[in-house]
Amino acid sequence: MKITYQWLKRYVDFDWSPGKLADRLTMLGLEVEASERVGQSYDGVLVAEVLERAPHPNADRLLVCRINDGQGVRRIVCGADNFSAGDRVPLVLPGYALPTREGEKSRPIKAGKIRGEVSEGMLCSGQELGLSDDGEGLLLLDADATPGQNLGDYLGTDEADTLYDLEITPNRPDWNGVLGIAREVAALANLELRCPAVELQESGSPCAGRIRIRLEDPERCPRYSARLIERVAVGPSPAWLSNLLSKLGLRSINNVVDVTNFVMMEIGQPLHAFDCRSLARNEDGTATVVVRRAHEGETFTSLDGQEHRLNGSEIMIADEQKAVALGGVMGGLNSEITPETTEVLLESACFAPGNIRATSKRLNLRTDASYRFERGVDAQTVDWASRRAAALICETTGGQLRSGAVDAWPEPPEPRRVSLRFERTDRLLGIRIPPEEQLAFLERLGLSRRSRTETAGEFAIPSHRDDLKREADLIEEVARLYGVDRIPATPPRGGTGTHAYDRQHDVLAQARSLLTGMGLHEIQGQTLVSQAAAGVSKLTQKAALENALSADMDTLRPSLLPGLLSALSYNAHHNVGSAALFEAGTVFPVRDERIVEARRLALALTGDRFAPSWTNGANPGDYDVFDLKGRLEVLLESLRIQGLQWQNAGAADSLFQEEGRLTLGKQIVGRFGQLQSDLAAQLDLKKAVLLAELDWDLILARQAAPRPFKPLPVFPAVRRDVALLVDESVNHRDILKIVRQAKPNFLQNVEIFDVFRGRGIPQGKKSLAYALVYRHPERTLTDEEVSSAHFGIVERLEKKTGARIR
Amino acid sequence: MEPEATGEPLSEANAHLADAEQAVTAAADLDELQKIRVEYLGAKGKITALLKRLGRLPPQERPSAGRRINEVKATVECLLERRRRELREAADRPSVPTDFSLPGRRLEPGRLHPLTLVTEDIVRSFRRLGFAVAAGPEIEDDYHCFDALNTPPDHPARDVQDTFYLREQDRRLLRTHTSSVQIRTMREQSPPVRIVVPGRVYRRDTADATHNPTFHQIEGLYVDRDVTIGDLKGTVSFVFREVLGKEVKLRFRPHYFSYTEPSMEIDFSSPVTRRMGREWLEIAGCGMVHPQVFENVGYDPEIWSGWAFGFGIERIAMIRYGIEDIRKFYENDLRFLRQF
Repeated sequence: MKITYQWLKRYVDFDWSPGKLADRLTMLGLEVEASERVGQSYDGVLVAEVLERAPHPNADRLLVCRINDGQGVRRIVCGADNFSAGDRVPLVLPGYALPTREGEKSRPIKAGKIRGEVSEGMLCSGQELGLSDDGEGLLLLDADATPGQNLGDYLGTDEADTLYDLEITPNRPDWNGVLGIAREVAALANLELRCPAVELQESGSPCAGRIRIRLEDPERCPRYSARLIERVAVGPSPAWLSNLLSKLGLRSINNVVDVTNFVMMEIGQPLHAFDCRSLARNEDGTATVVVRRAHEGETFTSLDGQEHRLNGSEIMIADEQKAVALGGVMGGLNSEITPETTEVLLESACFAPGNIRATSKRLNLRTDASYRFERGVDAQTVDWASRRAAALICETTGGQLRSGAVDAWPEPPEPRRVSLRFERTDRLLGIRIPPEEQLAFLERLGLSRRSRTETAGEFAIPSHRDDLKREADLIEEVARLYGVDRIPATPPRGGTGTHAYDRQHDVLAQARSLLTGMGLHEIQGQTLVSQAAAGVSKLTQKAALENALSADMDTLRPSLLPGLLSALSYNAHHNVGSAALFEAGTVFPVRDERIVEARRLALALTGDRFAPSWTNGANPGDYDVFDLKGRLEVLLESLRIQGLQWQNAGAADSLFQEEGRLTLGKQIVGRFGQLQSDLAAQLDLKKAVLLAELDWDLILARQAAPRPFKPLPVFPAVRRDVALLVDESVNHRDILKIVRQAKPNFLQNVEIFDVFRGRGIPQGKKSLAYALVYRHPERTLTDEEVSSAHFGIVERLEKKTGARIR
Repeated sequence: MEPEATGEPLSEANAHLADAEQAVTAAADLDELQKIRVEYLGAKGKITALLKRLGRLPPQERPSAGRRINEVKATVECLLERRRRELREAADRPSVPTDFSLPGRRLEPGRLHPLTLVTEDIVRSFRRLGFAVAAGPEIEDDYHCFDALNTPPDHPARDVQDTFYLREQDRRLLRTHTSSVQIRTMREQSPPVRIVVPGRVYRRDTADATHNPTFHQIEGLYVDRDVTIGDLKGTVSFVFREVLGKEVKLRFRPHYFSYTEPSMEIDFSSPVTRRMGREWLEIAGCGMVHPQVFENVGYDPEIWSGWAFGFGIERIAMIRYGIEDIRKFYENDLRFLRQF
């Protein structure tokens, strides 16, 4: 909503500066989104009448003029030649300056002699006044302009003004007109609202003798009224009107349409003017305005020339034969006001917000009228707006108003009543505002007190405040007028909160800090990804959006891996080929044909294992799957996840060259592995890409309790190494299992320290080297004890795996 | 003066001292020094020999001679030790001084995403006031996202223009704000409630410098007996001073949200906003929980009152770090991520 400082001041006489007003409006809840200086002031610039022009005695190109400035006669030397005696031209008095643009310095005109002739001021061109591009001759004004009148007054431009662009919250449709804002300012400043008086000069015959209304759908159109103005002369609007509209960003059209727009901006009630002759006449000479639903498939051409196909839900203004307006949205081309129009049917009506919104959205037709109807207009205002516009149309067009109006309003609503317990205000605001003061605030806002006790009051809500529905709404009004900024802050108090998620937040923070500690950077991927990206995770079903914005964001991520891959790819394209990343987030897999939410934690590694440094040469080696596994181990052990199994699930239909699977009993905690090379190539990733994705919900559910402290060993340990030559098919896990089965109670630890293939090892075999550490908790072991235990284990390994001792 | 008769071992001791001192000073390395030690103080050393000869002196001379020889021995030990330290230190020093301007061998930690950093700062300050962290689903239904929050059925926010709906039978939606967690929490817990809710939310905005269809919000909810606007302002001030700095100024002005009444928007002012050429910058929305919302979750608005306030994490992060394009947060450029 746009208003100007001067315009607002016509309705309420506040004494704030433009800056202060912006502040006050903002603090009332009318946020000033932008303000700018508009208009021009013409101090010291007058309309002057040329009485006589004569050649300058000392200069060929100059004239010496005698002019009437309204007060007396002046002599002016002038360089233009496009005027004659009797013309009205602009005059700048000595001591005043030509209008300046922003940043220009103002230079006052001086009285003095020009080439020996006295000159007491300056006659100006349109260009010099910033009014036109014509710099050749003087700006010629109307022949009936009054000498001595201020040029600003003559032009109808106000003095310099400030234009405000206000953000109107949807609960306050009454602020969609300047009067509503003035009412608010008046309440705040405790000033009188100067509502324009409307005096109609009606000529004898009644409107109802010419116009009838048939309101067929009072649900979509609760009130429809019309007035008829005859013998209008359509033409340009007077300067005051076109200037104001142009300041507000509206194009001046003609003296009828401009009035309807002006009244809409004034009171917030959209109006529409029809050329009444376009309405079909009944036999008795009357015309019937039918307010009906559109017919399914009906076509209608709005006055912007667009043709619309209607589906039957729209509310139409029609005569008995044809539609003439898309109710509440836009008039029709067939009934618009033209220079030939002589009879104006002035519509003032009220339409249901939901229907207008649906129509305007479906037809993609948004107008100042639809904007206001969508937010709701006050049915009570309909008649005032109609009378105000009728009076102004008569004034601007010389038209004659038929008496009365036709007005269909089947069910005027009862005013709402709301009670306020004064003590509730104090309890909610945390300050004490005496009941008398609360009452005064509400009454200043137009609420009328119906009854009052010691502790409470009941109020009738004015029709323009449909947003005031219950006690809390009245408390807000009190707070607003009191000033929310004046309510003091009180220090935080109260008990501690609880929520099941609270602990989980800390576990996630711990995981984040473990991962960053291991050199991984956190990323935030998009939730919405393309189908193709979602497909990377090889899940067959994808969660799609009904109303996606675009194809590259039409699917909910089923996994965090697409986001990590896209981050790796983005970085590769920006010459960052090495990355260690993780993301913790929600994913949306489809289970049993239903989209569900799951929390995941995913890691990605690619490129240099360490940043290359002068100490380790240019190539420290690339990340491989055991870098990834090591980070997963540290993470999961630190989070106290016990009993994890690491398996190779092969490669069938997987993202990975070989899919590593991390399980806890029967549940899969995560998948990991190296990205298949064709996928890596598609993303321009040149080094091995290691990925892992963990089921965070499962991890949270399976955290073990903190383990008790283990006493420190007192007796010495004995280490025995063994190197086993085994088939490739024998896994580390198999060895551990056999050792564990054989385990004498003083074997403390088994650790693999080498896996070797190559020289001296036959094809298909590998050498695994283990360190076994023996320690008894209560005494020192003898050499024989250790040897016998170690030999037993080695023998068992040989027997079970076919291993040869190297 | 000592009698002449005792002169012999004493003068020998003095001579040994002078010789030892010279030899110690001249010693070039630790091995040489060890030899000198043996020469004078070893089992067969010169000073050890003098001590052994003490018994041969007349008894009355023995104490003073013994004292003197022991003095010499101690002095030589001292000289040896001092020289040993000097030589040890010299041996420690590399032949060429180390260039300490070379970069260290670093273990580079990963960094948290700036949105996480900001979220954690905010969560931390709420927790200092006794708030528990809460969360809820991102896929929501009309009830939790709109109806229960008193958003009328024809409110523009519910429009398909602004909200993502899922392609499925019951047409659930992606939550447009974290306020749905207010409803879920209040329906599960009885008052008092004190939670802070960070999380992802979704709006159907085309991505540009200030919009991303996915973004993050955080909000606080406090419900108790006699909670006032003063309490709201107190907590908001505390949290924003923690997050934006002590010098921050806040301004509350009336606004409209369907689920609070009264509703306010919060502007802040700080050296940062003034650098941006603005006195006030909008930062958050807040208000007192609407009685209808309480009724919707089964709380009696006559007994309980409360406030909620919420704001966008990206906006705070953009202000804090001077980031001008919201899409930066979702590109995950390592050159960007490493800066936090």
